[in-house]
Amino acid sequence: MIDTTVAWIALPFFTGFVIYLVPKMARWLAIGIALVSAAYAGQIFLGEPLNIQLLDSFGVSLIIDRLSGFFILTNAVVTAAVIIYCWQSGKTAFFYMQATILHGSVNATFICADFISLYVALEVISIAAFLLITYPRSDRSIWVGLRYLFVSNTAMLFYLVGAVLVYKANNSFHYEGLLGSPSEAVALIFLGLLAKGGIFVSGLWLPLTHSESQSPVSAMLSGVVVKAGVFPIVRCALLLEAFDPIVRIFGVGTALLGVFWAIFEKDTKRTLAFSTISQLGFILAAPEVGGFYALTHGLVKSALFLISGILPSRNFQQLQSKPINTLVWIALVIASFSISGFPLLSGFGAKILTAKNLLPWQVIAMNLATVGTTIVFAKFIFLPHKKLVLRHDDKADASQKIQSGFWWAMLILLGGLIVANIVYYEAYTLQNIIKPLVTIAIGWLAYFVIFKKLVLKLPRWTEKFDHLIGVMSLMLIVVFWMVRV
Amino acid sequence: MLLEAFVVGTILCGFLGIIFKKNLVMKIISMDIMSTGVIAYYVLIASRDGLYTPIIDRTKDVNYADPVPQAVILTAIVIGFSIQALMLVGVMKLSKDNPTLETSAIEENNTP
Repeated sequence: MIDTTVAWIALPFFTGFVIYLVPKMARWLAIGIALVSAAYAGQIFLGEPLNIQLLDSFGVSLIIDRLSGFFILTNAVVTAAVIIYCWQSGKTAFFYMQATILHGSVNATFICADFISLYVALEVISIAAFLLITYPRSDRSIWVGLRYLFVSNTAMLFYLVGAVLVYKANNSFHYEGLLGSPSEAVALIFLGLLAKGGIFVSGLWLPLTHSESQSPVSAMLSGVVVKAGVFPIVRCALLLEAFDPIVRIFGVGTALLGVFWAIFEKDTKRTLAFSTISQLGFILAAPEVGGFYALTHGLVKSALFLISGILPSRNFQQLQSKPINTLVWIALVIASFSISGFPLLSGFGAKILTAKNLLPWQVIAMNLATVGTTIVFAKFIFLPHKKLVLRHDDKADASQKIQSGFWWAMLILLGGLIVANIVYYEAYTLQNIIKPLVTIAIGWLAYFVIFKKLVLKLPRWTEKFDHLIGVMSLMLIVVFWMVRV
Repeated sequence: MLLEAFVVGTILCGFLGIIFKKNLVMKIISMDIMSTGVIAYYVLIASRDGLYTPIIDRTKDVNYADPVPQAVILTAIVIGFSIQALMLVGVMKLSKDNPTLETSAIEENNTP
C-alpha cells in the first residue's frame, strides 16, 4: 500500500509533464488521472487507515483514512467533470497540464501530516491555480491571479515561521507537534491555513478570484482547491482536542459571514463564491463529519459554477427578464435543492449529519446560516425559464451554445449527488425530513417577503488588495489570543 | 536574542512594505524582503546548538548546526524564487497598459 500511495502521488506530476510533451493525448491523460484518483479513494474506503512515515523521524509523514478518502473522491469527481466540460472547448494542452498538476498537489494536501510537505503542496497549488486563472491572458485575469498569488504567498510566509517554531519545540514537523508549541506558532500556522482556505475575513480574497475566473476554473477552485486549506485545519482539530473549539468558532463565524454577503449579492458568480465561504464554515463547524460535507459541497458548487458559465447573464436583474433554457434550469434547481438540504439529494444527508455533530452553542447560529442558504438559492430557483424552441436557421447556433460536454459534466456531478445520498440512508426519519422542509419554507417565505425587493449594496472596499494583506495582521492577533485563552 | 529581534524586524519591514508601497514592483520586492527574513530565521534556528556545517568530521569535536531546517528552507527558497519570477512576468504583461504600475490604478481598472 505504501508503494501504491507514493506512485499515486507522483503520477499526476509525471503525467502533467507528459501531457506537455504529447499534447494530442492531453484530455485522455487528464481524465485518466482523475479516474486513478477515484479508484484510489475507493480503495481507502475499503481498506484500513494508514499512517506512513517515510524515511526517519525528519521525513515525510502521511495519514490516509476515510476523511482523506472523501476529499480525494471530491477532487477526482470534480476534476473529471471539469475536464469533460472543457472537452470540446479547444483548450490547449497547457490548460490540461496545469489542471492535472493542480489535481495532484491538492491530493497531496489531503494525505500529508507534516507541515513542510503541506507547505510544498500548498505552494504548488498556488502556482498551478495562478496559471489556470491567468489562462485567458487578459489584463483582468492577470491582476486577479497576481492578487491571489500575493495573498497566498504572504500567508504562507507567516505559516513558514510558524512551522519552524513547531520544529524548534519538538524537533519534528508532524501535525501533533502543534500541541507542545508556543501559542505564536499555532497562531502563525492557523493564519496561513485560514487565508489559504478562504475562512472568515481572511477569506475575502475569494469572491473576486472565484468570480472573475473562467467557469471551469472557478468550479475547480471552489470545488476542491479551497478545501486544500480547510483540510489541514480539520485534521488538526481531529488530532488535537485542544484546537477543536477554535475551529468550531471559526466555522460558525465563516458560515454566517458568507451567507450574509451572499444574500445581498446581485451577481450570480459572486453569490456562488460567497456561498462557498459559508459552506466552508459548515465543514469546520463539525470537523468529525467534514469529509462528507466537503464531498457534497464540492459536487454541488462545481455544478453551479459550470451552470453559471452558460447562463445568458451574470446579473440577477437581467436574468429575471431573460428566461433560461428549461433543461439548464432543471439542472440548476437540482443543485440548488441539494445545497439547501432538500431530501433525496446528498445535501440533505450532509446537513443532517453536520447538525447532529454540532455543540449546543452552535445550533442557533448554524440554523440561521441554513435558512440563509435557502434564501440565497431561492434567487436561483425562482429564475424564469422557458422551453427552448429551435428554429431551423438558428439550430446550429443554439447547439453550439451548450456543448454536450456540459451535459456529461452535469450527469457526473448531479448523479454523484444522488448516489452519495444513498450512503447515509439512516438520515431518512420523519423528524429529519420535516426539519429541512420547514427550513426551506421559512427561507423561501423570507425571500419573497423581504429579500426579493430589498436592495442593499454592501461596500466592496473590504476586498481591496491592501486591506486583504492588512487583515492578516489583525487575524494573527485574534488567533493568538484565541489560542492563549 | 538580538539576532532574533533583527530577523523579526526584517519580516515586519517586508510585511509593512507590502501594505504601504504603492508600486507593484516595490510590493514584490517587499515580499522578497519578508521571505529573506523568514529564511534568516530558519538559519538562526538551525544554529541554536552549534555553528559548524553539518558534515561529520571525526577528527574534530565541535557542535554542528541542525541540518533539517537548512534542508527545509532550501525548498522554500526555490519555491519563493519561482513564485517571484512568475509574478514579475505578470507585472511585465500588466505594465503594457499600466506603465506607472500604481496598484490602486490597476485595481480600479480591473475590478468589475
